[in-house]
Amino acid sequence: MVFVLTIYLPGQALAGKITGIVKVKGLRSPVDILVYVVKAPAVHEDLSKIKFTMDQQNLTFIPHILPIPVGATVDFPNNDKVNHNIFSLSRTKKFNLGSYKPGESKNVRFDKPGIVELRCDVHAEMAAYIMVLKNSYFSVTDDQGRFEIPDSKYLEQHHIKGIKNLSPGKYVLKIWHEKLKPQKQIVTIPEKGDISVEITAVRGTPGVLYK
Amino acid sequence: MKRYAFAGILLLLFLITHHFEKNSLANTTQIKDINKTTIQGRVSSVYGPVQNARVRIPGDEKYTLTDKQGRYLLQPTHVHFQGVKVTAGKEGWFNNAQYAGPLGRVQDIYLNPIYLNDNPDYRFISPVVCSRCHTKLTRYWDQSKMAHTTSNPKVLDMFYGTDAFQHDNVKPGYRLDNPNSNGNCAVCHAPSAAVSSPWSQDLRSVLQSPRTEWDGVSCDYCHKIQKVFPDKTKASRMAPIFERQSSPIGNSILVFGPYDDVVVPPMAASYASVFNKGQFCATCHGHFKPLGSGKTWDHSKIYSPSEWEGFGLKGDTTLPIQTTYQEWEHWQDQLSWNDPNKGKKCQDCHMSWRKDMLPYDNYIVDGGARRMWGTYRSPEDIHPHQFDGGTKIQLKTALSMEIEGKITGKKVDINVYITNTNGGHWVPTGETMRSIMMVLKVVDSNGNPLKMLKGERLPEWTGKGKVEAGNYAGLPGSVFARVLADDKGHLNVPFWRATSIASDTRIRPKSTVKLSYEFLLENPEDEPSAEARLIYRPVIRPWVKNKHWLAEDILITSRVW
Repeated sequence: MVFVLTIYLPGQALAGKITGIVKVKGLRSPVDILVYVVKAPAVHEDLSKIKFTMDQQNLTFIPHILPIPVGATVDFPNNDKVNHNIFSLSRTKKFNLGSYKPGESKNVRFDKPGIVELRCDVHAEMAAYIMVLKNSYFSVTDDQGRFEIPDSKYLEQHHIKGIKNLSPGKYVLKIWHEKLKPQKQIVTIPEKGDISVEITAVRGTPGVLYK
Repeated sequence: MKRYAFAGILLLLFLITHHFEKNSLANTTQIKDINKTTIQGRVSSVYGPVQNARVRIPGDEKYTLTDKQGRYLLQPTHVHFQGVKVTAGKEGWFNNAQYAGPLGRVQDIYLNPIYLNDNPDYRFISPVVCSRCHTKLTRYWDQSKMAHTTSNPKVLDMFYGTDAFQHDNVKPGYRLDNPNSNGNCAVCHAPSAAVSSPWSQDLRSVLQSPRTEWDGVSCDYCHKIQKVFPDKTKASRMAPIFERQSSPIGNSILVFGPYDDVVVPPMAASYASVFNKGQFCATCHGHFKPLGSGKTWDHSKIYSPSEWEGFGLKGDTTLPIQTTYQEWEHWQDQLSWNDPNKGKKCQDCHMSWRKDMLPYDNYIVDGGARRMWGTYRSPEDIHPHQFDGGTKIQLKTALSMEIEGKITGKKVDINVYITNTNGGHWVPTGETMRSIMMVLKVVDSNGNPLKMLKGERLPEWTGKGKVEAGNYAGLPGSVFARVLADDKGHLNVPFWRATSIASDTRIRPKSTVKLSYEFLLENPEDEPSAEARLIYRPVIRPWVKNKHWLAEDILITSRVW
């Protein structure tokens, strides 16, 4: 932990992106893996007008994993044909939205970093994760395992402005997926240009977001 | 004169034809703007008006109740393009229907009472008959444990004292200890056969019978239950009230169910509210054993006064063996009126839609029956009959686990939090042979286990031997189970030998158990890690070994710190 804190050396100038690929062993697809920078400047953006959505369709939460910056509010629209009752008993955020009908929506604000396991009280198969992160330097892999940090597609989709590239320096990059072992990698962002990394992950027990 | 007579006959014929045409139109006419038309009518019976009958357009979510004069006003919620049918149903009465006329007026809906003349000689119909119309529902049921309660090999092995290879005298076995008794297993494991003589049904004789409707908890058995009431003479302390039809009712099949709007020729359907209550499941998902002969046991060390009361027990002369229904009922009773979980019932979770059933269906009948008698419903109004319970899908989300750690000098503190997230009863529930284990492994950066200074270890009955083979005795961890004991202090005895409960560590609904451990870290500069695994074991290890059963553990979840 001490090591992690000492290697974070943000400079003044903003350099390139962290791009890369996560290769997995033991999973069908490298999609939906969270890649995040453990310690990076938190941008104090106004999150009140930013919409994050965890949808419900065909007994499935969409997306399966939703990373959000701490302080964000998530909408939970029911776009299914049956009632759902979303709740979480995770220590990061405990809530219970009660049962509500198709066409209705409720929301929850997440004010503490950590993992929030979502469940539906009546449909056992429904499970998803909201990853509440300390900063906005994260990405979720596509079906090829590719990612970029900051994630321009994610930022554009949620109309988030003001997240610039990280300053040159050393950063700890970690991954999280419900079926992968924790994996971390130290990356050095150069003065100029992007840095490309390759992370290899294996099937196993997931870890905590911040140790 | 003849001319006048001829004209009169013509006029009469016209009037008669017009009258029939009008009545026929009443059955098929479209109401042009149904949303603006209020449907009104009356529900009556041989005894006069029927109050509090539930009246609705079939399939509509909303219904209205009749007043003292049996009158009702109904505002349809959907536009109906065919003749508008209006149905009425009330507990204790057969459902019935009428068609609304063009102005929204409906002829009296006449309800016939269910005469209380249960026929004990009634022969339950085979599920095959039900499958002709309810094809999907019966298929889901057939894939469930509910359909095979009699032929379940583990049930038979436990009853006869056999093993998976059909060797005799393999303990435990009810017949080994009680050679001259059939017990009362059939009451729930072959209920159609046992309903007439609960103490004289041998499970093999039930299976050998050509009466295939006897195997399992069949469709007709459940749908012949009109009510459920407390009965302390029964092992579950609850008993069903049946209404098995006698021949005068005719060829239609008398069925009780949750719908007050089913009015179709093959069935004489009657609305019974118990189908929408957890109480319906209570006749089998509870099992109490009176100790007899003045024996008692001290329950105060195991259960809080509130929990004991929740089991519906007073005194200390009864052992609660299985209490799934009571666990749920007690949990519900404790919730405040505005708690989001208030009102959740067994059917909501164990008869809900599953992904492999999608796309959603809007009918409970299939094929030709759908065309003839199908009622379009919201999927929310349909309960698939798969009766999921103890399945991998359910277990994976029944519990959740979190782990945290802290290093202080040469000590590593690990806390593991296990939460009963989705169980509306204690987890694990039902059979006492079930258990859930949390197995904790804390290692240094080289993978060497750290020495445990404080914390619980798994008991001997979680298996002695190689860890890779699923033996966890002595490892850091905890087990969640109801452990039955006998007079000699033997643990995990079968219920018929039990005289006390040694422990009951099962996790209560929506509650979290915190488990704390302390380990020695020889090198404070090291980076140790911890892994917690939560494992469901369907049958305790000693019994699996004895019986040669295939009963694999299921990993519910695991977490690393």
